[in-house]
Amino acid sequence: MSIGGRPGKSVAVVLGSRGFAIVASIALLVLTLSPVVREPTDDGFPLSTYPMFATERPTELSMVYALGVTRSGERRYLRPFLIGSGEVLQAYMILAGAVAGGPGTTQALCQAIAARIRELGDIDIVTVRIVFGKHDALEVLLDHKLGKETERTRCSVKRS
Amino acid sequence: MKRLRDWWFAPAPAERLAALRIAIGVYALGWVIIRYDEIINIATQPSGFQPIGIVRVLETPVSPDLVAVFAIATCVLLGAFILGIAYRVVAPLAALGLLWTLTYRNAWGMPFHTENLMVMHVIAFAFMPAADVWALARRRPSPESGYGWAIKLLVALTVATYMLAGIAKLRIAGFAWLDGELLRNQIAIDNLRKLLLGDSTATLGTTLLHHPTIMTAFSVLTIVLELGSPVALIGGRIARLWALGAWGFHVGVILLMNIWFPYAVLGFAFLPIFEVERPIAWLSRRWRARRQ
Repeated sequence: MSIGGRPGKSVAVVLGSRGFAIVASIALLVLTLSPVVREPTDDGFPLSTYPMFATERPTELSMVYALGVTRSGERRYLRPFLIGSGEVLQAYMILAGAVAGGPGTTQALCQAIAARIRELGDIDIVTVRIVFGKHDALEVLLDHKLGKETERTRCSVKRS
Repeated sequence: MKRLRDWWFAPAPAERLAALRIAIGVYALGWVIIRYDEIINIATQPSGFQPIGIVRVLETPVSPDLVAVFAIATCVLLGAFILGIAYRVVAPLAALGLLWTLTYRNAWGMPFHTENLMVMHVIAFAFMPAADVWALARRRPSPESGYGWAIKLLVALTVATYMLAGIAKLRIAGFAWLDGELLRNQIAIDNLRKLLLGDSTATLGTTLLHHPTIMTAFSVLTIVLELGSPVALIGGRIARLWALGAWGFHVGVILLMNIWFPYAVLGFAFLPIFEVERPIAWLSRRWRARRQ
């Protein structure tokens, strides 16, 4: 349908009509609110249930992470970008994915982390360890008391 | 019904919607540019691809080069979106590009909640007459629908986001969420995870772990702000007060957990509540005065 034989104008009339505005408004609002009928933990993007901070959690945390060991034997927590992502949660997913893949992928990730450390050059880390730790968050943060750690793999930061 | 229609279509200046297009477009463009390396880097990972949203059409990851092409095309389209060039074609394409690029990024690991509202706002702009003024195109006549509905829709999308967050807390944890223990545990776990993954922890968060009463107050305030978000649709002072409260909530989240929601912290999520055209019009007047 066109007005005065100009198709462009008819599109403008439809898009500028109240009817179009009502349909667009309802569609977008229903779409945005649609996650409310999903399981609240069934997250998505960009239509999210926003489950962050909602889940009841024990204070005990079991997770895999990477550690650096300095020349003098001190432990260092490694920044997420050394794992492979600037984002802390995505760095964690990389670590968890590598460990789930078995010893081969864990060692490959260890080597990749060691290579990034080597490229930076000025970090005093000679060994990378990928460990599985089980800690109580309140004990660590309030009393500085670490739980149990089990090593999954280790590799050296070879410098020429 | 007529009252509801009159309220939804209450007039608003074209300049306000155009200012929102420019501001939110600049934010979205800046976000993709700043995150570009991250977007490409994550796409090179050998594992961890878990398709979500529209990316579910893929079974396996695409080449990082293709990811780069989409991200660059999205930046170009967002540039045209900001300038209001060929808006009817560009706005939907820019929205689609942003949706694809950020969904693909979120398909690697845990989905973030920092980008959802920005993406929904840009998608909404695809349906709005947001480039009738302040655009590198000829000025268009006002549409029959006016511009007020579009601004209300942007506010409603912000409101819906906060409502959903509040509803999720009550659906998952029930009213137990209000006693503060759950929030305290979240703060403790989140800070420990950050510590173990080499990220910065929130000093205030770890200090307040000693004070459960304060956690209870934070929990109640959070639910009140989230479920009370529809007051923003009333407009005026009450809407601005809510925006201030929600902004304060995000500042609190930074101090307690070092989790940043930049779209909200920088105020973009709440811009549709304000008369945003005023500062841009002022700058425009000054610029024109200088040229004369």
